Amino acid sequence: MAGQKDQLLVMHNIIDNQLETKDQCKIGRVADIEAELCDDGKLVLTNLVTGPQALATRISSRLRPVAEFLLRGRFEHHIPISEVKEIGPTLRLRGMAKDYSVGQSDRWIAEHILRWIPGNGR
Amino acid sequence: MKKWFSITLGIVTATGGFLDAGTVATSGEAGAKFGLGLIWAVLLATVAVILLVEMIGRFTALSQKTYADAIRENFGFKFYLLPLISGIIAESLLLAAEIGGIAIALSLFTGISWHYLFPVAALLVWILSWRAPFSLIENGPALLGLITLSFLVGIVVLGGPPRELLPTLWKPDIKQGELADYLFLVAAILGATISPYLLYFYSSGAREEKWSRDSLLLNRVTAIVGMSFGSLGSISLLVLGAIVLRPLNISSSTLGELGLAMAKPLGPLGAYLFAGALFATCLGAALEVMLGVSYNIAQGFGWEWGENKKPVEAARFNLVLTIILLVAVAIGLFGTDPLQLALLASTVIALFLPISLTPFLFIMNDPDYLGDHTNGRFANIAIICVLIIAFIVAVIALPLEILTGGG
Repeated sequence: MAGQKDQLLVMHNIIDNQLETKDQCKIGRVADIEAELCDDGKLVLTNLVTGPQALATRISSRLRPVAEFLLRGRFEHHIPISEVKEIGPTLRLRGMAKDYSVGQSDRWIAEHILRWIPGNGR
Repeated sequence: MKKWFSITLGIVTATGGFLDAGTVATSGEAGAKFGLGLIWAVLLATVAVILLVEMIGRFTALSQKTYADAIRENFGFKFYLLPLISGIIAESLLLAAEIGGIAIALSLFTGISWHYLFPVAALLVWILSWRAPFSLIENGPALLGLITLSFLVGIVVLGGPPRELLPTLWKPDIKQGELADYLFLVAAILGATISPYLLYFYSSGAREEKWSRDSLLLNRVTAIVGMSFGSLGSISLLVLGAIVLRPLNISSSTLGELGLAMAKPLGPLGAYLFAGALFATCLGAALEVMLGVSYNIAQGFGWEWGENKKPVEAARFNLVLTIILLVAVAIGLFGTDPLQLALLASTVIALFLPISLTPFLFIMNDPDYLGDHTNGRFANIAIICVLIIAFIVAVIALPLEILTGGG
C-alpha cells in the first residue's frame, strides 16, 4: 500500500511541473506522461510529454482527434524519464536547453520572429 | 539603511499599482454622481487589496513560487485555463483603457486629439516593457505617481467638503432610476482596485527582486502603507469630484472633464497636475497590466520570463508581451472612450474575481508552501466576504447597466 502511495505522490509531483535544464533554463511544463506495461504487469514511466496536443487532450479527450488533425504532432516533444535528475516542484534535467527539442523553442522564436524587432538584445 | 531604502521603493511600487485609469475614472464619477456616498466602497476595496497583496507577497517570499506557478502546479492545466482566459479578456480591455488614459494625459498637455496620440502612448509602453530593467519599471512611474498628492492639496485649497455634502457619506443621495448606476459603480470600484493583474505582477516582482524569508516585514509594510497611500489618492479624487463636479451636474463622462475638478482649486497648474497624475498612474498601470498578463502566461506554461533578461533570452515571454499590446491597440482603434472602457473592464474583472481568487484561498492555507505562516481565520473569512460582495454586485449591476444604456 505504501508503494502505491509513493507512486501517486510521484505522479502528483510530475504533471504540470516546471522543467528546468542544467543551464537553468525554464523550457516548459510537463503536459502528460507516457508509460509502458511490462511483462510482470507493472506500469513503468518512460517519457515526459510537452506540447499543445497533449494539453488539448487534458482539457477533453474529445479534443484529441481535432488536435491531432490540426497539429499532426508538430509541436509535440518527448523527454525520456532517464533525463530527469531531480524530482520536485521543479524537475531538473541532466542536459542543456539546446539538447532538447522543446528547449529550442525560445531560440527559434528569437531567430525567426524577434530578429525583425529592433532592440531585441541579440 | 539599505533595507529602509527598499521599503520606500516598495511603497512607491504599491502606489503605482493601486491607482490607474480605472480608479481615476470610478472615483471621479462616483464623486460627481453620488457625493461622498461611495467612499465606503473605496475603503472596503482598500482593506481587501491590502490583505491580498500582503498574502501573495508572503506566499512568494516563502515558497519562491509565483501565483501563476502555484495555480498550474496545484490545480492542473484545465483549471488554470479559467483564470488565464478570464484574465486575458478583462485585462486586454483594461490595457486599452490605460493606454487611452496615457494618450488623454498627453493630449491635455499638447492639445492634440488623444486619438492621434494613442499609437504614441502604445509605443512608449512597448519600448519600456521591451528593454527597461525591472527597477525602472517599478520606480519610474511610481515616483511620478506622487503627483496624485496634489488631489489632496486641491481639497485643502477648496476648504474641504461643504457641510451639506457630509450626510451623503452615510446616506447616499440616490435619485429615482439611479440605483443601477450606483451598483455599477460599486462593482467598478471593487474591480478597479482589486485587480488580479496586481497579484501576478506583485508576486513576479517579488521574484525579480529575489525576496526571501527576510522580506516578510518589508512585504507587510509595503502592503499596508503603499495601498493606503493609493487609497488616499483615490478618495481625494472622489471628494474633489463631489465638491466641484456634482454642483455643475457634470457626471464626468470623459477623463478630460475630470481635470476640471483640479482646475477649479488650482487653476491651469491644477489642470497640468491632473494631466501629470493621469499620465503617471496610467503608465504605471499599463506596464503592470501588460506584464501581469505576460508573466501569468509565461509562468503558467513554464517558459523563461523576466524583465531583467534581454528579449531574446526570454523570447516566448517577450513575444506574448508584444502580442498582448497589439490586441489592446486593436481594441483601442475602435475609438471607445478610455473612461467607459476602464469602467467596463473593472466591472468584468469584478465578475471574474471569484475565478481568479478562489485558488488563492487554497494555496494560502497550504503548509507545504507557507510552513507556519499560513492564513489565519480572520484573513480567510475577510477574503471570502469580499469575493461574494464583488461578485453579487457585478452580477446585478452589469445587466442593469446594459439595459439602461451604459454609464
